[in-house]
Amino acid sequence: MPLRNDQGIVLRGFPFGEADRVVVLLSPNHGKVRAVAKGVRRTKSRFGGRLEPFTHVDLVLYEGRNLDTITQVSVIEAYPAVRGDLDRVLAAGTMVEVIDAVTQEEESSIRAFLLLRQGLAALDAGPRHPDLVAAFLLKAADVVGIAPALERCAGCGRRDGLTKFSLAAGGALCERDTASGAVALRPGLTTYLARLADSDLADLPEHDGVFSGEAMGVTRRFIEYHLDRGIKSLAIDA
Amino acid sequence: MFEAPVQRLIDELSRLPGIGQKSAQRLAFHVLHIEEEDARRLADAITSMREQVRLCARCFNVTDTEQCSICRDLRRDPAEVCVVERAQDIVVIERTQEFRGRYHVLGGAISPIEGIGPEQLRIQELVARIDDEGIKEIIAATNPTVEGDTTALYLARLLKPLGVKVTRLASGLPVGGDLDYADEITLGRALAGRLEL
Repeated sequence: MPLRNDQGIVLRGFPFGEADRVVVLLSPNHGKVRAVAKGVRRTKSRFGGRLEPFTHVDLVLYEGRNLDTITQVSVIEAYPAVRGDLDRVLAAGTMVEVIDAVTQEEESSIRAFLLLRQGLAALDAGPRHPDLVAAFLLKAADVVGIAPALERCAGCGRRDGLTKFSLAAGGALCERDTASGAVALRPGLTTYLARLADSDLADLPEHDGVFSGEAMGVTRRFIEYHLDRGIKSLAIDA
Repeated sequence: MFEAPVQRLIDELSRLPGIGQKSAQRLAFHVLHIEEEDARRLADAITSMREQVRLCARCFNVTDTEQCSICRDLRRDPAEVCVVERAQDIVVIERTQEFRGRYHVLGGAISPIEGIGPEQLRIQELVARIDDEGIKEIIAATNPTVEGDTTALYLARLLKPLGVKVTRLASGLPVGGDLDYADEITLGRALAGRLEL
């Protein structure tokens, strides 16, 4: 029987049949993996609790024709604090949604996997940093090759006078660039965004209330524009 | 393809959850071979359920009257309300015979990943009940999943400032199960919620 070992972070799951669930995981080597967890919705299931979203698990899978079946699961990291706090669970939902949108099946996703693991670990470690989700989105954009230009003009490459931002042009623009649809930015915002993009998620710079909300707004619109889809979890008002 | 009337029934049955083409065929041919009166009774049960059943005006349980039998029962304690995701969950809790309050059916759970927010659930209707019925405690009996936990956390954040006690169903080991089969997340919660004997 074709059994294989893998590991992954559970992105989401949906009910399947009477008591089964199809679980979607992100594996570092195989990208998104869909697998059936049999009987997992029953209260006596052996591994139901291990296959909830945000859990990093080690798996044994039986390879099927269409879907693999999970035969064993052990938890590598459960990030329990994330599930116990509303703000953190919503932030984790955004991280997982974006990673789900930018990864494919049967395609190595080591960078996306490591980013998601770092994001969940940062959320689990303590209270949510106000800029954590924005920093995560900027890094996710980098992973898929759509990182915004923040330290150079997206049009001409100049480093000074970055006063505007254009979604279509791909980031900050200098005052001499005349791309249509560019909007004026608060002075210093591109520098603030660049610092977030370059920082370790576990050690983000101290947040600045003046820039924080705008940083999130610009990052969200940029990602949504380039992925051509809205981030549903960010629309939840809790 | 079967003759049109048979194929039509197969197509309709295969739209039901958990029923594939093969099962639908088996059911359709079963219906073909039963007494005509039995087939008529089955059809009547489906149509009359759809015509007569509606949602309780107070708790959104399924009922065939303005309010469900639980909401009409004067022996029920209006100060305690058990909040569930689906109407089917009420039956499960009623079977325990441990709860004598009323219910509130949310119609789902908050799911950040699916983009289901509180405004898509019957949460404002629950808030409206608090003063009207003098609710003192809300028991969040949503599923022990990320979505259910998120919904319970949201209810706590929303309702505690209103002076309502918000509690959550305990998570732990199933009665009759083996300890060595328990997953570490469930076992961890069972330890955290241990009871003094």
